[in-house]
Amino acid sequence: MREQAVVNSDGASVTPAVAVSGLSSGYGSVAVLYDVEFTVGHEIFAVLGANGAGKTTLLTTLAGLLPAFSGSISYHGTDVTHLAASESARLGVGYVPQEASVFPDLSVLENLTVGGMIGTRPHDERLEEVFETFPDLRTKLHLRAGNLSGGESRMVACGRALMQDPTVLLLDEPTAGLSPLYLELFFEKVAEIHRTRGVSIVLTEQNATQALGIADRVMVLSLGVGSEPMSADAVTTDLLREGYQI
Amino acid sequence: MNLDWLDAFLIFGAFKVVEIMGLGLLVHLQLGLTRVANFGVVGFWGVGLYAFGVAYLKVDWPFGDVYQFLVCAAIATIVAAAAGLVVGWLISDLDDDGTLVGTLGFATIVVILATTQQGLTGGALGLGGLDFPYDFGRVKTHEFTWLLITTAVVALIFAYAWRVYRTPHGRLLIAVGSNEALARSLGKSATAARLRMMMVTSGAMGLLGAMHGVMVRSLEINSLDVSVTLAALAALILGGTARVFGAVVGVLLTVALFDIVIQFYIPIPDGWNTQALPVAREAVFGAAIVLMLIFRPQGLLGQMRRPALMRRLHGDW
Repeated sequence: MREQAVVNSDGASVTPAVAVSGLSSGYGSVAVLYDVEFTVGHEIFAVLGANGAGKTTLLTTLAGLLPAFSGSISYHGTDVTHLAASESARLGVGYVPQEASVFPDLSVLENLTVGGMIGTRPHDERLEEVFETFPDLRTKLHLRAGNLSGGESRMVACGRALMQDPTVLLLDEPTAGLSPLYLELFFEKVAEIHRTRGVSIVLTEQNATQALGIADRVMVLSLGVGSEPMSADAVTTDLLREGYQI
Repeated sequence: MNLDWLDAFLIFGAFKVVEIMGLGLLVHLQLGLTRVANFGVVGFWGVGLYAFGVAYLKVDWPFGDVYQFLVCAAIATIVAAAAGLVVGWLISDLDDDGTLVGTLGFATIVVILATTQQGLTGGALGLGGLDFPYDFGRVKTHEFTWLLITTAVVALIFAYAWRVYRTPHGRLLIAVGSNEALARSLGKSATAARLRMMMVTSGAMGLLGAMHGVMVRSLEINSLDVSVTLAALAALILGGTARVFGAVVGVLLTVALFDIVIQFYIPIPDGWNTQALPVAREAVFGAAIVLMLIFRPQGLLGQMRRPALMRRLHGDW
């Protein structure tokens, strides 16, 4: 794997929070991602793309739930390409899937506490922090997570990932299927989590406008091939059209 | 203790109810909590029964009844737990269908081994000579005492099942059961959690097998029958796989109905007890499984956790 580094705000070269090099992945013998390459520093990194572009496959592979065909993944300089998902989680990777993101038979509180099974900080302290970010959860602790609305489920899922005290948060289309009210709230929360907790975030989205509003850098994924990562400010409509193939 | 008022067959009926209740509770932990569809219950139970019997009868132990029972029961539990660990590992990457076939295959292997290893097990003829670890004089007193001891063991299994819901390990198992991929991203090994549960529950099934051996005082190949698995599963599915009380309610409505109520308190023609009733029992159990899975798959008691339970579990929160 070639040496990768990102430059921080002081201009110093630092080990990236996430470094992906030549990553190919897929299901069975069917490849979905081809030679994807990017690094993520202390930032919000958005992966944009249309349906079927490979965004979920990318995040599932980054979370260690899908084996990589080739290439490498490292978090803070530690190669995790062949590590189990549980090992990656212990290295500080929190993962929020797009679908089935909560444990339906557990209550909201239990969903949060299973997230806190790793780490050394006291549970209550971490819970309080989650409630600061998602105050609505405080009144729904006893509810069965399977009975929550889509927006509430995403809050629980994000809260559970935050309970793991992550240094890298993988968010797979956190606003998919949400009402406009929740949509705006969620993007605000993602930005807040990054700002207040110092978590590097890899976010996949179809909603380019909203994602560009909070992302520092962007990669457009098209049929499993990633574009050169660029500053969110540099993304043009033409570039997105090309990436989304519309 | 004067037990003249008590029918000896009633003791056996009650023993069967208690035993299947124990197995149902253990299947609840596997299927209801962790979603491991074990169709080879009789295999783990049978491993315990035969490991106990062989250890008891084929080894010349230098100590008396109680210690001999305790050591042999421990061996039965350990052998069954080891079998649970191996089978659990083999099926760890399989889907539900694969798990069903794998566990059923394991039970078949146990029956074949018990039948063919005649030098150890007595084969189709079986082996006699097992006995109670105490001597009070009368057989009926022995059997009644054994029923009480087995009830205490099943009560401990119930307490464990009740308690596990309130522990981090239990919550992890529920998480693994409902969404294994997501559970793997929590930082704990889903496979290890599942194997631990398989080991504990299979070991307890083996212990119940050993206790059965003492009650019937012999090893009989006929006892390794699919009816053991069927009774435990039918009871649990009827009561509710996801509830601790599911197995209790289910067993009362199935095994207790047939092996106590109908057999002892309903006037049925002579001969039915030994011929028609066992067949009808299996047919009704099978039909109960099919009907419940079609019309009320969550069982009579419903879903796993209700708001009242959650409020109780969460205390101050």
